[in-house]
Amino acid sequence: MKKLWLFALVVALLAGVVVAGQAKTLHWNLATEPPSLDPSLATDTTSHQILKAMFISLCQFDDATMAVLPDLATSWEFDAATVTWTFHLRSDVYWTDRNWTLSGIPVTAGDVEYGIKRLLAPETASEYAYVLYLIKGAEAYNTGVGSADDVGVKALDNHTVAITLNFPAGYFPTMAALWLCAPLPQVAIERYGDKWTEAANIVTNGPYVLGEWVHEDHLVLVKNVAYYDVASVKIDEVYCTMVNEASTAMAMYEAGVLDVDDTPPLEDMDRIKSDPVLSLELQQAPRLCTYRYGLNSAKPPLDNILVRKALASSVDRQSLIDYVLKGNQKPAQTWTPPGIFGYVDGVSLGIGYPYDPEAAKQYLADAGYPGGVGFPEVTLMVNTSQAHMKIAQFIGQGWMDTLGIKINITNQEWGVYLATCSADAPQVFRMGWCADYPDGNNWMNDVFHSGSGNNYEKYNSPAFDALVEQAAVELDPAVRLDLYKQAEILICDTDVAFIPIYFYTFNQLTKPYVVRTFAAIGGESWKNWDILDH
Amino acid sequence: MFQFILRRMLWTIPVIFVVSALTFILMHSVPGSPFTRERALPAAIQKNLEAKYHLDDPLWKQYGEYMWGFIRLDFGPSIAYRARTVNEILAQQWPVTMTLGAVAFVFAACLGIPLGILSAVKQNTLIDHSSMVVAMLGVSIPSIALGPFLIWIFALKLKWLPVATWGTPAHIILPALTLSTFYLSRFARITRASMLQVTREEYIVTARAKGIRESVVNLKHAFRNALIPVTTIAGPAFADILTGSLVVEQIFGIPGIGKYYVTSIGNRDYPVIMATTLIFALLIILMNLLVDISYALLDPRIRYN
Repeated sequence: MKKLWLFALVVALLAGVVVAGQAKTLHWNLATEPPSLDPSLATDTTSHQILKAMFISLCQFDDATMAVLPDLATSWEFDAATVTWTFHLRSDVYWTDRNWTLSGIPVTAGDVEYGIKRLLAPETASEYAYVLYLIKGAEAYNTGVGSADDVGVKALDNHTVAITLNFPAGYFPTMAALWLCAPLPQVAIERYGDKWTEAANIVTNGPYVLGEWVHEDHLVLVKNVAYYDVASVKIDEVYCTMVNEASTAMAMYEAGVLDVDDTPPLEDMDRIKSDPVLSLELQQAPRLCTYRYGLNSAKPPLDNILVRKALASSVDRQSLIDYVLKGNQKPAQTWTPPGIFGYVDGVSLGIGYPYDPEAAKQYLADAGYPGGVGFPEVTLMVNTSQAHMKIAQFIGQGWMDTLGIKINITNQEWGVYLATCSADAPQVFRMGWCADYPDGNNWMNDVFHSGSGNNYEKYNSPAFDALVEQAAVELDPAVRLDLYKQAEILICDTDVAFIPIYFYTFNQLTKPYVVRTFAAIGGESWKNWDILDH
Repeated sequence: MFQFILRRMLWTIPVIFVVSALTFILMHSVPGSPFTRERALPAAIQKNLEAKYHLDDPLWKQYGEYMWGFIRLDFGPSIAYRARTVNEILAQQWPVTMTLGAVAFVFAACLGIPLGILSAVKQNTLIDHSSMVVAMLGVSIPSIALGPFLIWIFALKLKWLPVATWGTPAHIILPALTLSTFYLSRFARITRASMLQVTREEYIVTARAKGIRESVVNLKHAFRNALIPVTTIAGPAFADILTGSLVVEQIFGIPGIGKYYVTSIGNRDYPVIMATTLIFALLIILMNLLVDISYALLDPRIRYN
C-alpha cells in the first residue's frame, strides 16, 4: 500500500512537471494506418514503430551498434545443461492506460509467460509465431499438437522468467529484444478481446501511452509518466499523421507541419541536395536491409554457373546508386548487411562479384555465348512499382549493353508476383530482406536454408545448410562469424545463387531543432530524442 | 410510377447476387491469398490464419456465409486490419468520403452547369471559348497533377489553406476542388451541348416568336429539357464521387474509404473487397433509379407505366 502511495506521488509530480513546462511535441508522419497495435499480431514497420514507443520487451537494441541492452530484463544467463535462458526482471515497471487508472499494477514474469504463450496459441493466429519455434514445445503448441503447459516458458517468480530452447541458440537475446517476447496485459486483452488495442482500452508499459487513435487520420502518443526511465524521456507527445503520398508529406515538412520526413520523394532528391536549407537537413544512415536479384538456377541458361557469374559481374551498382537511387546506398557483393552479426566485407575480402565488364564478357564467352551470340532471351521480373522498374531498366540495359544479350523486363502485381516467384520463379526476379533481429541466422538460415519458404531461388546446398545449422547452435561468437563467412562465400561467390545489389540507407529530412538517433533495424527510439527551443 | 420503382428495386436483388458471385469468383481466382507474404509463412501458420477467417471452408460455404452476413448487414472482419470489422471501417471512413464527395459534387454542379449555360447562350464568343478551354483543361489534367499543384500554390506559396489531412472546413477546400474539376468540366461541356441542341427545337423558336424574354426562354424552357443529359451523367458521377477517389484521398491524406477500393485488392482482403464492390454496385443501381425518376419530373413526355 505504501508503495502504491509512493508511486502515485511520483506520477503526480511528473505530471505536474509536464503541465508546468512547455510541452514538446514531435510531428511525425506514419504514412499509413498501423494494421495492428497488438504485439502478437503486428508484422509491419508502421505498427512496430508505434509498438516500440508503447511496449518494452525483455531486452532492447542499441540504435547504432545493435548491441543487446537490458530493458525489462536487467540481466540474463544461459544454462547449457538445460538449454535454458533465464531473465531477471526489473521490479519498477508498471502497466498504464491513458487515464492512469491502472497505474501501479506491476509488470511481472507471468506477463512475459502469458505474452509468449498467447502469441503461440493457434487461435491467436499470429503470423510471426514460427519465429519462436526454437522455444521448446512452441511449434507443437502452435500447430495444435502440444499444450501451453509444455511450452518452455515459465515464470519462476514475479521477477524471473526461464525460457527453454530446443537447441542452444547463442543469438536468443537478440530475439528477446523483439516485440514477440513482450509482456502483455492479460486483464485488458481478456476484457476487450480484439478491441484491446483501441486507445480507450489499451494498457502499455513503455515510454508512451496511446492517447488517441483516429483510424486512418492520426494517432497521438503521450509520455507515460509511469515509465521506469521517464526522467530521460524528453518529448512529451508524438503526433502522428497518416499521409501516404510522399510528395504531400514533403510539402507538409516544408510547410513546417512535420518535424521529420522519413521518405522524401526520389524525384525531389536532386532539389534537396542542391537546396541550401534542405541539404543541411538531409540525414543518411545505414539500414539493415539488402536488395537482391534472385536467380532461378533451374532455368536455362541460368543453370550455367558461368552465365550467373557474367550477370553478377555486369551490374554497375555504384552508377545505379548515383543516378537512379540517389540515396547514398552501399553497393553489396555479399548478402548480410553491415551491422548484423555475421557481416563480412565482401568488397575488401574479394567475396562476390564486383562490376567488371571485361570479366563478365569472358564468363559469357566461356559459357558458350561469345558476345551474347546464341544467348536466349532472359526474363527479369519485378513487382509493379515505379522504383523497382527504374532499377530493372538500369540493370537490364547494363546487361544488354555489356553482354549483348536480350532481357525481357516484366512486372506483376505484388500478390501475383509472390505467387509466381513461389511456384515457378522467372529467371531473374527482385527480392529484398530486412532484419527481424540482428544476427546472421536471420539472414542465412531463415532465407537460404533449403527448407526455408523465403528461399525463392530454391537454393539447395547441403554444404550451406550444414554451415548455417551449425552456426545456429554454436555458442562461440568467433566460430559463428567464421561459419557465416563460409556461408557467404558459398552462396554469393561459389554458387552465385543470387546477385546482391545494395545495402539500404535511411534518407530522412529532420528539422535542425530535433535531436535524434537512427535505429538501423527500424522503429525509431523517440524516447531518446529531444526537441530544442525554436 | 410506383410500380416502376418497385420493379426496379426488385431487380436489384438478382443484380446484387450476380455482382457478388462474380466478385467472389474473381477475387478467389487471382493468384495469392490474404496471407501471401514476401516472408513466406510456414504451412502451420497459414493453417491457423485460414482457420481463424474460415478460409479453409469450401468456397460455396464461404460465399453462402458471406451473403448471409451481407443480408444482415454484417460485412465480417477485415483481414488486413486485424482489430477492425468491415462495418467499422465503413462507419469510420465512409462519412469522410461522403462529406468530401458531397462538397465536390456541389462545386461541380454549381459551377459546371452555369458555365455550360453561359457558354451556350454566348456561343462562339470569347466567354464561350475561354469556358470551354477551362473545361477541356479540367477534363485533361489528372488529379495526381492538379492536387500537388493546388497544394503548391495555396498551401506553400500563399499559405491560405492547410497542405493536407482532415479536420476543419479549410481542409476540405483543396481536395474538393481537385475532385470536382473533372466532373465540373464534364457538366459544363454536356450542359453546353445539350443547351445548344434544345435551343434549336421548335418550341423554343415558338417561345421566342411569342416575344418571351431571352432569359426566360433560356432558363425556364430550354434549361429544363437540357438538364436531361446532364442528369444522366450526374447519377453515376454522384455514385462515383461518393465511393471516394483513391488519388485525391491519397494526395491529401484524407481518411476516406477510397483507398480501400484499391488496397483491399492488393491485400486480398476478401471481406473488404466484397463490401466495397457491393456497396458501389448498390449505389450505381440507386443513382440510376433516381436518374430515371428525375427524367419523369423534368420532361412531361416521359412517363413510366
